[in-house]
Amino acid sequence: MRPLTDTETQTLFTKLANYTGRSLTHLLTDTTSTNDRHVFRIQNSRVYYVRSSLANLATSIARPNLLSLGTCLGKFTKTGKFRLHITALDVIAPHARYKVWVKPNGEMPFLYGGNVVKAHVGRWSEDAPEHQGVVVCGMDDTPLGFGVTARSTAEVKRLEPTGVTCFRQADIGEYLRDEDTLFAT
Amino acid sequence: MAPIKPKTSSSKGGTKSSSKPSGNSALKNKKRTASAVGKAVQKKSAPKSGPPKKKKRIYTEKELGVPTLNMITPSGVQKPKGKKKGKVFVDDQESMMTILAMVNADKEGQIESKMMKARQMEEIREARRKEAEARQYDKRSKLEETKDSLRKRHRRKEDASITEPDADPQPEKPRRPSKKRVSFG
Repeated sequence: MRPLTDTETQTLFTKLANYTGRSLTHLLTDTTSTNDRHVFRIQNSRVYYVRSSLANLATSIARPNLLSLGTCLGKFTKTGKFRLHITALDVIAPHARYKVWVKPNGEMPFLYGGNVVKAHVGRWSEDAPEHQGVVVCGMDDTPLGFGVTARSTAEVKRLEPTGVTCFRQADIGEYLRDEDTLFAT
Repeated sequence: MAPIKPKTSSSKGGTKSSSKPSGNSALKNKKRTASAVGKAVQKKSAPKSGPPKKKKRIYTEKELGVPTLNMITPSGVQKPKGKKKGKVFVDDQESMMTILAMVNADKEGQIESKMMKARQMEEIREARRKEAEARQYDKRSKLEETKDSLRKRHRRKEDASITEPDADPQPEKPRRPSKKRVSFG
């Protein structure tokens, strides 16, 4: 377990900034209950968002023995890119810049790994451009996953009901579907 | 009988000197001096063998002035001198904030440009649509006009036929029946 390097931090933040707005700074300065700040740590190419006190405690555990700690945000690929995992949803959802609210009849198709079609969209953040990261929520504002817009908001209005509006990237159904690989390497 | 002493030293001279009485002390001295000189000579000769060692001095490429080969040095091999080995971690909040601010500004710019482009495209599309509509309207109105004019002409003819049914029979007579024509080719 070690802190992130310069380039790694930049890659991570660039990815997170796809979904969040300026409020991403709260991730670094968030001191809600205690004075403990949160830090990013990398372990076995996975990045964790951890309380600093916990991270300090974890230094006493050898690298091969430490499986995971804190909230896993995603992992670095061997080419140096960063892949967000569904576990990062809790971190990015409160700071989301654009959101898509899915009707109850569209929740299950999304949770089974489908894209969001126009007929299932209940609400949509205004002025969302094309290919922009969005957080997908249920109508009761429960975050269900995240994805990328297929069309801009203006174009979606002209789209037929079966047209895809948002490509799925991760959904909370993965907790069951990818149970075996989600936390273990 | 002389006491037998165990052979301790390997040198012959040494054993001789110990076993024999001190009668030939001059000779022994000579021998000693010779051996001492020899030893001294040997000792002196040892530093003499130093200079060839000096020649082993390793020159750097800069000192030699050898023209550098135009070749690629792998990034793993390149080691900038005077720099610390290993990764440089970013763990303090300020540097993270600066990275985040940079990333945020970058993303904001990207989104802004995307929106601008989308807006421009939308405007162009709208203008084109309006133009097409106007053209369609023109076409339709022209068609209507021609239809109307044809209708009017037809009506006039009808009117004429209704009003002058008796006066016309004569002019119709000179009209010859159409000739039979044959065309080749």
